[in-house]
Amino acid sequence: MRRALALALLVIGLAVPAAAGARPVVGGGFEGSRGSGASAPSHLDRRTARAGAPSHLDRRTAKSGWSETKTLSRKFVQADGSTYSFPSHTVTVTADETTNLRGRQRILIRWKGAQPSGGRASNPYGENGLNQEYPVVVMQCRGVDDLSLPAKKQLRPETCWTASVVQRSQITRSEGEASWTHDLAAAPEDKGRITGLDPFPTAEECPAADISPYFTKLTPFATAKGETFVACDADHMPPEAAVDAAFPPAEIAAFTDTDGTGSVQFEVRTDVENESLGCSDKVACSIVVIPIVGLSCDQPSTPMTISDQACRKGGRFPAGSSNFANEGVDQAASPALWWAPSNWQNRFSIPITFGLPPDTCDLLDPRPPTGFYGSELLAQAALQWAPAYCLNKQRFKFQLNQMPDIAGWNLMENGGGVAAEVSSEHPRSGTDPIGYAPTAVTGFAIGYQIDKPDNAGEYTDLRLNGRLLAKLLTQSYLGSDLGRAHPGIGDNPLAIMSDPEFIKLNPGLSPNAQEAGATVLSLSNSSDVIEQLTDYIAHDQAAMAFIHGKKDPWGMVVNPKYKNIDVPRADWPMLDTYVPETQNTCRQDNPAVYFSQLAAPVSTMRDIADALLDSWPNVQTRCEKDLGTGLYKLGRIDRQSYGSRFMLGIVSLGDADRYGLRAAALEAKPGTYVEPDSRSLAAAVQLADQRKKYHPFALDQGDVRRSGAAYPGTMVVYTAARLQNLAKDDAAKVAQFIRISTTEGQKTGSGNGELPGGFLPITRTGPTAKLFDAAQETADAIEAQHTTGPAPTDGPDAGGSDGGSVAPPPGVPDEEEPSTEPVPSAAPSAPPTAVSMPATEPVGSELAGGLLPLLILLGAVGCVAATALRVAAPVVRRRG
Amino acid sequence: MTRLIRTIVAFALTLACIAALPGTASATVYAQIEGTGSTWSELIVQQWIADVDANGMKVVYTGGGSTKGRKDFSQDSTDFAISEIPYQGTDEQGQADTSNGREFAYLPIVAGGTAFTYQLKVGNDLVRNLRLSGETLAKIFTNQITNWNDPAITEDNNGRKFPSMPIKPVVRSDGSGTTAQFTTWMDHEYPSIWRPYFGQSGLTSYYPKHGGQMISQAGSDQVMNTIKGFAGNGTIGYVEYSYPLNADFPVVKVLNKAGYFVEPTQYNTAVALTRAKINQDKNSQLYLTQILDDVYTNPDPRAYPISSYSYMIIPTGKDDPRMTTAKRQTLADFTYYSLCAGQTKAGPYGYSPLPLNLVQAGFSQIAKLKTADPDVDLTDRDVTSCNNPTFDGKNLSHNVLAEKAPQPASCDKVGAGPCGTATGTNQPSTDDPNASGGDGTGGGDGGGNAGAGSGAGGPGDAPAAIDPETGLAVGDTGTATSGDAVFANPTELAANRAVDQRTFGWLAVLELLALVLLPGFYVAALRRRVNGGRS
Repeated sequence: MRRALALALLVIGLAVPAAAGARPVVGGGFEGSRGSGASAPSHLDRRTARAGAPSHLDRRTAKSGWSETKTLSRKFVQADGSTYSFPSHTVTVTADETTNLRGRQRILIRWKGAQPSGGRASNPYGENGLNQEYPVVVMQCRGVDDLSLPAKKQLRPETCWTASVVQRSQITRSEGEASWTHDLAAAPEDKGRITGLDPFPTAEECPAADISPYFTKLTPFATAKGETFVACDADHMPPEAAVDAAFPPAEIAAFTDTDGTGSVQFEVRTDVENESLGCSDKVACSIVVIPIVGLSCDQPSTPMTISDQACRKGGRFPAGSSNFANEGVDQAASPALWWAPSNWQNRFSIPITFGLPPDTCDLLDPRPPTGFYGSELLAQAALQWAPAYCLNKQRFKFQLNQMPDIAGWNLMENGGGVAAEVSSEHPRSGTDPIGYAPTAVTGFAIGYQIDKPDNAGEYTDLRLNGRLLAKLLTQSYLGSDLGRAHPGIGDNPLAIMSDPEFIKLNPGLSPNAQEAGATVLSLSNSSDVIEQLTDYIAHDQAAMAFIHGKKDPWGMVVNPKYKNIDVPRADWPMLDTYVPETQNTCRQDNPAVYFSQLAAPVSTMRDIADALLDSWPNVQTRCEKDLGTGLYKLGRIDRQSYGSRFMLGIVSLGDADRYGLRAAALEAKPGTYVEPDSRSLAAAVQLADQRKKYHPFALDQGDVRRSGAAYPGTMVVYTAARLQNLAKDDAAKVAQFIRISTTEGQKTGSGNGELPGGFLPITRTGPTAKLFDAAQETADAIEAQHTTGPAPTDGPDAGGSDGGSVAPPPGVPDEEEPSTEPVPSAAPSAPPTAVSMPATEPVGSELAGGLLPLLILLGAVGCVAATALRVAAPVVRRRG
Repeated sequence: MTRLIRTIVAFALTLACIAALPGTASATVYAQIEGTGSTWSELIVQQWIADVDANGMKVVYTGGGSTKGRKDFSQDSTDFAISEIPYQGTDEQGQADTSNGREFAYLPIVAGGTAFTYQLKVGNDLVRNLRLSGETLAKIFTNQITNWNDPAITEDNNGRKFPSMPIKPVVRSDGSGTTAQFTTWMDHEYPSIWRPYFGQSGLTSYYPKHGGQMISQAGSDQVMNTIKGFAGNGTIGYVEYSYPLNADFPVVKVLNKAGYFVEPTQYNTAVALTRAKINQDKNSQLYLTQILDDVYTNPDPRAYPISSYSYMIIPTGKDDPRMTTAKRQTLADFTYYSLCAGQTKAGPYGYSPLPLNLVQAGFSQIAKLKTADPDVDLTDRDVTSCNNPTFDGKNLSHNVLAEKAPQPASCDKVGAGPCGTATGTNQPSTDDPNASGGDGTGGGDGGGNAGAGSGAGGPGDAPAAIDPETGLAVGDTGTATSGDAVFANPTELAANRAVDQRTFGWLAVLELLALVLLPGFYVAALRRRVNGGRS
């Protein structure tokens, strides 16, 4: 029986080869006539798009920006008493936002005209950034530079935060490393052997500080509460100071490019993140930017002492060079002496103010939380929304539990959760109808962290197309020489940066392949994000031709294991099986599928954002002997060095905005590349259609590819809940959530209940109006929980009462827009319905599926038998 | 006069309204706390961190493995650590594994079952209902059982034989608490199998990988990727239950003392852990750490034997270099949330809520923060206000868990079955028709949820739903829906033999040719005969 079934299946497979995977393709006529939809309504774009910012999407105004210009110069007093001045630098520092900040917000600080840096460190943060020359030190200090204020409110080196001792104190240095004792701007009492604190700590307190003849200079730290930590060793630092802590340092010795410019995204911290530093809405603080131009030196002794010479050193690394080996540098040009008066006087102090801390919920609130389960895309919004619920007695206590869309969906269907947050239509497994309410418009991005060669700064204009993404996902790059023996693709490029197609699209980058360039860090579990990404690929002819085995114009072919893979799909499988043969003992001992180790997908997009922030690819190909156990083991490769970073990863737009990650522009119309911003998200929403009442809107990637203005990664997050058999008060909670999140939850801002960056507000008018209307409609239906009547169904009887599709909501909103496009708003109902046919539901009947081919087979056998009889019978008869 | 009274009444009402408002911006001051450690518990810890953000608490947690967590804590780089095992004094390589003098306490935070997830195909069907005894598992991970057709595996599956295929165990390459938990269990239950392989007694955080078949990977994600991968047929590895759950991958049903093969669902784990003992010796280095001996041998038919929990290691010293009042308060309130309301989501995430005995132990540890610093406010933070789903804070003798946890299905018993239901779906395998499906949060998931039924059964229970048109129950039990899914038939012995495919492939081609050509021949023959007849 089993075999017969298998046989039957085979016959089906042969007979109807094209049945699987066919998706309805929306006809093009109407969209064509609709024009390209190139300009979204202008009222969405009032926010200033700031050049150079990684994500233009919905950042708050640039009004509170700051700028200042200073002329800095290094001076030596010569032995004869004359003064020699080096050519001066006219440095301009700007900051994009300085007022009403919140904890961990990232401020873009840029400068020009500075001395180019040398000896770039692989990681410029905290103590790792010390071995560089002529960097720009950026740090956060309590107080402001205003002489009219009492001394307590002024900033000084003692109120500037560093995470480690070595960044603030010089302990027991030899004379050759005591250049600060000849600082021209220093007071005589600061030029001694042991300085910085009077009285100097005793030998008991700081045993290593005062050892003759060595030099020590302490820069104590004064906390907001008035306590002083003498900073002579790690035990005498404030509680928040730690090396290699879970919370990375914010202060940075940033690199100035050879053209004198540089920039950094500086993370500010409040008293919640750093109690000792203690910045808040009440305590004013500053970001201090110190471009290091080298110490100015006083009149030397004759002959010059070693420390005189040390003060006059000009650096051993040429401008633009790297110092990945972390070699020592010339102290006089290093960031370690930022507190030395001749450096300190060159500071730019950017005053910043923090907003009122948001009201917070009561921990002992007896109301149990109500969990909504699902999409990580909503994570940043949910963080801001949650307090608006628990702070209001009239509302329920909302929590978003992030998990794969399908897991959240299943919990919602089987009653484990009241509602799910998903971004696409999911098949029902139960009998209750499900309503989808649009809740937020956001999406995914291909986040990246790429440095231009020769320390020329970060690359900011990455462009990718469907075929390049297909090449990455199908594991068609070789990674390294280990991949060369992979059957069938041995001549492919090692990584995307050595792929001529990528080089043509993104010129000027280093073509040196890294393993991290062979992959885009993706999700290991099922996700609507992967579904949308692969749908984008599925609508790219070149990408699909590549997947189907056609060489690209430069001869690259698809990894045979992924050839003809079905797209779109919600989970991306690891299909490769190639284990390289090598002489390496470690790899022989750990035979692993090499391409799977390169891809190494992770569970959450948050992990991917973290990996990008740390520029630490999740490539798991490092193979080494563990000294502790003596075993060979596989593990994650090292963090990438600043100056040679190259990493791609799939992130949510919310995370990208929150953490300042750069997002690649994706090809829409051939040759047109679209970045995620409010305009391109709105353009995509405009293209989305709702097939049926209470159903999700479908964004057809075919439309996106025709439009040229819509961002392909745009996704609508829906709150999905049962329309029947949901407990009344749960239904009321879900309806309340939908109504609140689509009204006050769509006001942009960083306060409680507001919509964070990375989201396009859903409004009553404009392109998102149809989402708004659909949300209200669904909220009503969820609340009503009609047990009978015209409940919508999407089961096999889909042709039923609902009349197929809902016309887009009344055209009023469209007319309100300063309509720059010929949207046929006057006749909103007629044409769209024609094109949006419901997808054919796969009809499943195992009985029929098995019986049909069996019957055919039976017929065939009958035929054969009959023929045989007919042909053979006369012969037999004749013989007989 | 009336006007005056009205005014006064209105004024009084207004005042009352103001007084009744929830205490916004309360006096509680928080400061950010930072931690590293276990990846076993990371998925739910990250969710808790997102949850308490609404309360103004900032918590940073970066995982990295239990070994790293303990080490970072001992070096004063973090405010807390999460680890599956306590400080070992000296680790298996003879290196120091202590807190380096920093005063600390162990606090249980989340329980879970160490799950064995696998990829085993019969034909092209993924087996989803594999059962193994503890002994078989121990032998698999010590290279004593190396083929899926081993008689021991056949016996565990009540005579169902699997194809001849090498077993590829996947282990962790990094220092891992999951490995420690697994090896603790093997060392305790099967010392004669484990110790000769390890070469010594005791647990290890670094799995000793011997032999060419074994694969080692860093981190739970990578173990899961390897098993899920196309090249993963024949692999089996150990991870926290939430990983296979999120990946929609099956897990092994492990034989318990009562003779049932059970899956590490939240209830089976919680039931097992009711037998967890806690080291009460205040002078012991391991004070308040878990003694799981009775968990491994819990006689309850529901108990999943390899159940355990993670600890948070919190600093309790008065002069701890990283602690301030605000940080201690954050630590206390974060752990209060985790032990109570935070446990309601343990089930949906593939963990298991901590039972009462462990929550009470946790509260005694939180109290140490107040001992260290009297300014820490612990008012009303106790078991009675605790929204934990395994017990009723108002009535502690009421064993909610025992009522909720469904008994195993009879086909899960030794010598019966095997059941056809799939594992790795967070659905209990049970004959109990009232057992809820994925409704892990039931009691905790809202007073509303528990109280108001919508007419038909518990609102959370999809299986109990009534079809509005027919009035009949929709579906049957939680298991029935998956009962008719495609599973490899227990009597099917053949593997995916290439010969079969070829034979049937050719046969199919022939049949197809016949289908197309024969009618033509037939017609031709007919015509010939007709012609012949004419001539």
